[in-house]
Amino acid sequence: MRSLRARLLALVLGLVAVVWAGAALLTWRDARYELDALLDAHLAQAATLLVAQFSHELDELELEYEHFPGNRYEQRVAFQVWGREGRRLLFRSANAPRAPLGDARGGFRSVRVDGADWRVYSTRATSEDGDEDERLLIHVAEPLSVRTNLAAGISLHLLYPLGLTLPLLGLLLWWAVSVSLRPLTALAQAVQQRRPDNLSALPEQQLAELAPLTQRLNQLFARIARLIDNERRFTADAAHELRTPIAAIQAQLQVAQGVSGPIARKHALQQALDGCRRATHLIGQLLTLARLESQAGVALERCELGELIAGVVAELAPEALRRGVELALVVDKPVLLAGWPALLQVLVRNLLENALRHAQGASLVEVRIGTEPGQGSRLSVCDDGQGVIAAEREKLGRRFYRPADTLADGSGLGLSIVRRIAELHQAQLHFESGSTGRGLCVVVRFGD
Amino acid sequence: MRVLVVEDDRLLGDALQAGLKQAGFGVDWVSDGLAASHALALEPYAALVLDLGLPGRSGLEVLGHLRRSGRRLPVLILTARDTVQDRIQGLDQGADDYLIKPFDMGELAARLRALIRRSSGQPAPVLELHGVRLDPAAHAVHYQGQPVTLSAREFALLQVLMLEAGRVLSRTQLEERLYAWGEEIESNAVEVHVHHLRRKLFARLIVTVRGVGYLLPRPEPA
Repeated sequence: MRSLRARLLALVLGLVAVVWAGAALLTWRDARYELDALLDAHLAQAATLLVAQFSHELDELELEYEHFPGNRYEQRVAFQVWGREGRRLLFRSANAPRAPLGDARGGFRSVRVDGADWRVYSTRATSEDGDEDERLLIHVAEPLSVRTNLAAGISLHLLYPLGLTLPLLGLLLWWAVSVSLRPLTALAQAVQQRRPDNLSALPEQQLAELAPLTQRLNQLFARIARLIDNERRFTADAAHELRTPIAAIQAQLQVAQGVSGPIARKHALQQALDGCRRATHLIGQLLTLARLESQAGVALERCELGELIAGVVAELAPEALRRGVELALVVDKPVLLAGWPALLQVLVRNLLENALRHAQGASLVEVRIGTEPGQGSRLSVCDDGQGVIAAEREKLGRRFYRPADTLADGSGLGLSIVRRIAELHQAQLHFESGSTGRGLCVVVRFGD
Repeated sequence: MRVLVVEDDRLLGDALQAGLKQAGFGVDWVSDGLAASHALALEPYAALVLDLGLPGRSGLEVLGHLRRSGRRLPVLILTARDTVQDRIQGLDQGADDYLIKPFDMGELAARLRALIRRSSGQPAPVLELHGVRLDPAAHAVHYQGQPVTLSAREFALLQVLMLEAGRVLSRTQLEERLYAWGEEIESNAVEVHVHHLRRKLFARLIVTVRGVGYLLPRPEPA
């Protein structure tokens, strides 16, 4: 795992080293330039001195010049004195080569003699009598490496402190970074040491960089807590809701056991069977709702809403007929949408069954699909029964909620299922009163 | 003994009515809280069987209303809510007993009998006066050690009179305690049952207070 601290440290130290090295390079260039000027001036000066000396006391002999080393740069300076128009070497320093370091032209130049690079200053000295033959040619030279070494030395001296200070800087940086990262470390520890079921909020962060993180985490914790709480409540509710039909079945069976007449017994047994049907229906609805929670991964399909609904209407038509209710499908405009066909059918079936079974005094149940300007597609299931008063309407769709005075037995889950399916399709569920002021309209508005 | 059952589930309500009738209770059944409060205000029930999750007015509200109006009638809560918290809340609101669904019909009847017995200051399960011994659980009556066969109605009448021994009860009061709604009451039913009881047991067991009602006297302290 990569460490933020190590990364920060490496980055800062690396940058410091690069900048420092850059400074050293610049210094080297600058020093080299200044050295050139300075040492050239030296060469010229030395040449002047030599000229001054040799123009008076000319010796026929080629002399060796004894040299006493002064400082470490001095012995690098070499010279040659040539007479006879540069044809005869009159005099040279011990470190000077025998080969000429230059020609008759005066001034500065860089030359290569016997494999060594020299910086040479040449000058001419004429004797007092003006004899051309007596003219001296003087070369004062210095190995180029002297200059390079000098400049490099200066630059290296600049680099030595870097070598010493870099580890120190590293230590200090390590400390500084550690101190700066302490809130982050504390946060990581707090999160790490949490029990998995601890969903309480993390303490508020004072740091601008960390505040969004803890805020988001806390939002996430709150959401998960809400979800878990919902699930828990749902499971508890579901268990409780199953208890009532089971209690009814048990009680009816005990009545059947104790009753004397065959008609009363048959009635009790019939009621017990009804109870079993109710429990089965409730379990079916619970399973549907549970399956909906894991729907998100399944791919969407293109659905022609009218076709889907026609199938459901056809399925429920016999029941509607038995109840004396007319069932109708009106397509104002065909609706195509991306969705899960099986779920949309469950949605429509639940709405239709609700209308058929719970709308008291209804004689017509109408499914209508179409589009609304600017509001996307719309699906509505309307009945012309007694309707539901506004106060009760808000409670519709709560799990296990059954309005007062309901004659029919339901699980109280149908609209929860409808609502969940609508949510999965990014659709919204509304309850309205029927167009004529009678009955209940359940409207599903699809986005896009 | 007439009891009121408040249960919104159609199947369960039906079963409670039939089952408690089998156990010898007169049973009225309503399916929402408001109807329950109205019935309680009008009729002299011996006990109340109350579901908590009711439409209209919740079971706990019915209970609170009942207790605020000073009624001491025993209340048995019948509910699917089984957490300790739910039970504590129910009992603290003034319930006398708590039974969780699903339940045994026999247990429910036994608990109701116990509640009614206690509420009438009669700790022994078996009532015994003047040599008449009435066992509500076994639905049996003995007189001087001999079993006596009584109809359900005669049994109920004798039970009411024994529970309220020493008090004069009017014909209407007796009818209210015996008959559930919708049950046919013959014009002289109480007289007829009293007559039968006197014949099957002994004549001076039940005293007629002319123009007022009937009385089962308490035995004189010896």
